[in-house]
Amino acid sequence: MSARVIAIGLGNVLMSDEGVGVHVVQAVRDAVPGDDSIVFLEAGTSGMCALHAMAGLAKAVFVDCAFMGTAPGTLRCFSPDDVASRTQCRRFSLHEGDLLEIIALSRRLEECPAVVRIFGIEPAQVAPGEHLSPVLAARMADYVRAVVAELATEK
Amino acid sequence: MAKVIDINVHHVTRVEGHGNIRVRAADGKIETVQWQVPEAPRFFEAMVRGRSYLDIQTIVSRICGICSVTHTLAATKAIEDAMGIVVSEQTDKVRLLLQYAEQLESHSLHVGYLVAPDLLGQKSVVPLVASHPDVVKTVIKLHRTGNTWMEKIGGRMTHPVTVIPGGFASLPGESYLRELKTTLAGIVPDLKVLAEVVLSLAPKLPAFNRPTEYVALVHPGEYSLYHGQIGSTDAKETVPVQKFESVVNEYVTAQSTAKWCKWHRDSYAVGALARYNLTSKNLHPLAAATAKMFGLAPGCCNPYFNSVVQVVECVHAVEDSLRLIDELLTTGIKQEMVKVKPRAGEGAGAVEAPRGILFHRYAFDKEGRCLKANCCIPTNQNHANIQKDFEALVPTIMDRGQDEVRLLMEMLVRAYDPCISCSTHYLNVEFV
Repeated sequence: MSARVIAIGLGNVLMSDEGVGVHVVQAVRDAVPGDDSIVFLEAGTSGMCALHAMAGLAKAVFVDCAFMGTAPGTLRCFSPDDVASRTQCRRFSLHEGDLLEIIALSRRLEECPAVVRIFGIEPAQVAPGEHLSPVLAARMADYVRAVVAELATEK
Repeated sequence: MAKVIDINVHHVTRVEGHGNIRVRAADGKIETVQWQVPEAPRFFEAMVRGRSYLDIQTIVSRICGICSVTHTLAATKAIEDAMGIVVSEQTDKVRLLLQYAEQLESHSLHVGYLVAPDLLGQKSVVPLVASHPDVVKTVIKLHRTGNTWMEKIGGRMTHPVTVIPGGFASLPGESYLRELKTTLAGIVPDLKVLAEVVLSLAPKLPAFNRPTEYVALVHPGEYSLYHGQIGSTDAKETVPVQKFESVVNEYVTAQSTAKWCKWHRDSYAVGALARYNLTSKNLHPLAAATAKMFGLAPGCCNPYFNSVVQVVECVHAVEDSLRLIDELLTTGIKQEMVKVKPRAGEGAGAVEAPRGILFHRYAFDKEGRCLKANCCIPTNQNHANIQKDFEALVPTIMDRGQDEVRLLMEMLVRAYDPCISCSTHYLNVEFV
């Protein structure tokens, strides 16, 4: 069976909660072994990889650290059209990446999956460190459950 | 002429901040011209202390998500230097093949996504899809090619896992190399399209020339990314990589949390233009012809042309990769058992990252645990030169109005293709 869904984890695992997307996608991959219809990508800090990885698939599910104005540890699932980005890029460096802009580019290229869902997780700390904060670590099982459920739905 | 110019381009979104441009001038007199880098420290050099030599490349590859291959290679070379590990010619070639993949990916991304919007009067690449769809599709094809190539040899698109001290954990197969050869031959027309597009836009690049010292890896007979010693346009003799601290001479400056560097002058530049100025005679024929298209010649000291040289380097990367593939297929890929016995020692490694020469140094105890580390990245080496460029540029453009002055200064920074922090990139949204 060829892949139709991609789960993409974004973030830097050396910056504590900033890497939560990668940790969650790693755990989700371990939770759904042997399902060839799902591709997993740890995109790390290279959001541009996601552009190519999701091209032509039916559904993309992103997991990322997100400042949403909510309590630390909060998980929200939304579509790109549900939010406006507050990220301002000066375009000095290729590291400046706005996930929402990458999705917009993919749409303009007419290769974006029909369904795109984003799991945003509010960080408790974004600072040098190899582990998630206790707040987020305690909720990993909830995050994994939510993402697995989303991967199983058609839309 | 505007009486007051007050520019404060402040990067507001990140925890660390990135680069700020500050200019204040009144009645023709410049009061302030500053390139400020308010980065927070990232502690990689502290993070690796106590870690096994086998873990170092995995950690430091995360210094950057775009040049993770070159950090991996610089670290691995430094470890091999510290422990007296000699690698095979096959390892050398496959590592260079991996490095070229990253160079194609990084350069195409930089030219297509950052530089082209400026030259086409857009704020980002997204509107270019509507106005210049073929250009965007060409850039994306080149970027995708580089990414897939990196994944096949490095094991992942970002942060490679196959490079280990002594060799490779996993080598590409011969059937993949044949497939890669076909792919690379197939993108030569796309590189030609990119070169022609950039050529058509080149008249829009500012004519700004400032005599500059250029520093890059130099190796006989090569346009080198991986081999060689440290060369300078200001010196006839090269310096061994093991003495890189005597080249970079890092020092702290009040306007930047990132250190500045200097060698024979107050500053120097690294990157594509530096490599070109030092070793252009070793470009392969098609790359040399591409350089000639632009009227490029050694001695070019217009920083805006760094992006033009990146296009030339993409062509050279493909040409040299085809040579490497042919050589690897002729001898056949041989599986090598990598057996490394750690020992105490200190070593340094250097490679040319897309943005310029990159240095790593590590010291290890007899069990191979890291005692100390020092990394000097190319963008750090360029910060002082950006400042000097600003100081020379601003007086010549002050009469063009604040918006144009700001744009030209932003374009100058972008031309250096700075890699300012890969530390965080989180979403920042409000629900609508």
